[in-house]
Amino acid sequence: MLESVLRSQDLYKSFGRRKVLQGVNFSIYPGTLVGIVGENGAGKSTLLRILAGELRPNHGNVDRHGTMGYCPQAVILNDALTVNQHLDYFRAVYNISNLRRAGELVEMLGYQEYRQHLVGTLSGGTKQKLNLTLALMHQPQLLLLDEPYQGFDWEIYLRFWDLVTELRERGCALLVISHLFFEQARFDDVYRLQEGQVRVQNPMKVYAWSGYSTSRQWSAGKRGCPRNPFPL
Amino acid sequence: MIGSIGRRYLTATRYTLLEQAKNRMAIILLIAFVPIWYYLIGLFVVQDMPIDFKFRVSGAFLHVSSYHLSLLTAGLNAITLIVGFMLFTSTRKDRQFDQRLVLNGYPQPLLILAKLTSLVAVAAAVTLYASGLLVAFWHPGSLPLVWLGFFCAALCYGGLGLLLGVLLRGELEGFFLIIMFSLIDTFMQNPVGNPAANQSFIVWFPSFAPTQISVAGGFTHLVPWSYVLLSLAWLVAFVLLGLAIFWWKTRAWRVHIYNFHSISTN
Repeated sequence: MLESVLRSQDLYKSFGRRKVLQGVNFSIYPGTLVGIVGENGAGKSTLLRILAGELRPNHGNVDRHGTMGYCPQAVILNDALTVNQHLDYFRAVYNISNLRRAGELVEMLGYQEYRQHLVGTLSGGTKQKLNLTLALMHQPQLLLLDEPYQGFDWEIYLRFWDLVTELRERGCALLVISHLFFEQARFDDVYRLQEGQVRVQNPMKVYAWSGYSTSRQWSAGKRGCPRNPFPL
Repeated sequence: MIGSIGRRYLTATRYTLLEQAKNRMAIILLIAFVPIWYYLIGLFVVQDMPIDFKFRVSGAFLHVSSYHLSLLTAGLNAITLIVGFMLFTSTRKDRQFDQRLVLNGYPQPLLILAKLTSLVAVAAAVTLYASGLLVAFWHPGSLPLVWLGFFCAALCYGGLGLLLGVLLRGELEGFFLIIMFSLIDTFMQNPVGNPAANQSFIVWFPSFAPTQISVAGGFTHLVPWSYVLLSLAWLVAFVLLGLAIFWWKTRAWRVHIYNFHSISTN
């Protein structure tokens, strides 16, 4: 059976009297792309912050297997450092020996001419690309992305999806949260976060096992395990 | 040979220091404010008027020049403002970035160590400049001892800046508090402006011990080691409190992480 890369078990989170999460259960498997959609204020970012370890749930567990990359919604960079200095800093953070993959990502996302520039002088879109590069440069087994394509132009948006395809082929599991998805067909599973719980956004798609995506065949068909151990 | 831990520590320290070096406002303050402040003291304080200063190292009153004493307290005031401001600004600005580093696996103790290294380096650099510049206005008895007093004050206010940087959300509140702390604290130590400066309650202020050390350097050759320890006690108190809050705010909450290849099947 295929092991999940991320499993959320019975997560509850409240801020004062406001109940944000009320029993969130789902799992993510290698090579899959999962989306969580929800209205503004539904608790998507709270959920992602708990999954990343940034927030503590009031109840429940998060089990993670392998290395994680986390790209928060807000671009969190240091304006006083250049792009190259960020890459070098995160090399120390991830304790990796070289920046080969980081260089590939910079070229793929098309901002190599800014490598010597101070981050404080970059446009919002370029900062977003660096934000994404920092989450990916250590080749994580799980990638958590919060509204990842905000600020991307059309060309970079397309490159982003090429990158997602490449990551899935390598076996990386991706969780993307957004307030809306224009291209749900790209996802293996899409959940809706509503009233503190995740519900299947498109039940036909999730349970039909139509085999329309390579990763679905690989993870569910070949290994023969149900990818959602918590039927919703 | 530097191991992996050493390399990771050096990287964080290098970029923390680089960020400090790019704090233009602090550098302008350092280059311009310190000499202007020394110069203004010459205009405002009568140069040949003697004053009694309670020198607690020996327990006696020192009969010293009010101008020279005011130069020392002006130097202390300037460096405490600048170092407090530098540590407050960088700590406050980097809060989210630091948390991102920790969430992605950078060890918190190394980050804390890098911040402490930066505090010491900034305090040393600023006080070397401020004490070196003092020679243009006056030749104290022992310049290294004056520097030691300045350095102790800078460490103490660097610790305060770090504490306020993790505590306060707004920039303005932090600046205001550092300015008020530094002005009141250093002003209280000087009997030229404050007739109560020789009272015993003054010992409870953070710049009390650094002032005594600087005065020892300016007018005697006594080395008051116990006052160095007292200054370090203030530093330790501010830094421990600040780093405890920093540790709490940037910590990664417990997530069960397993080795990908060794987990049992569900």
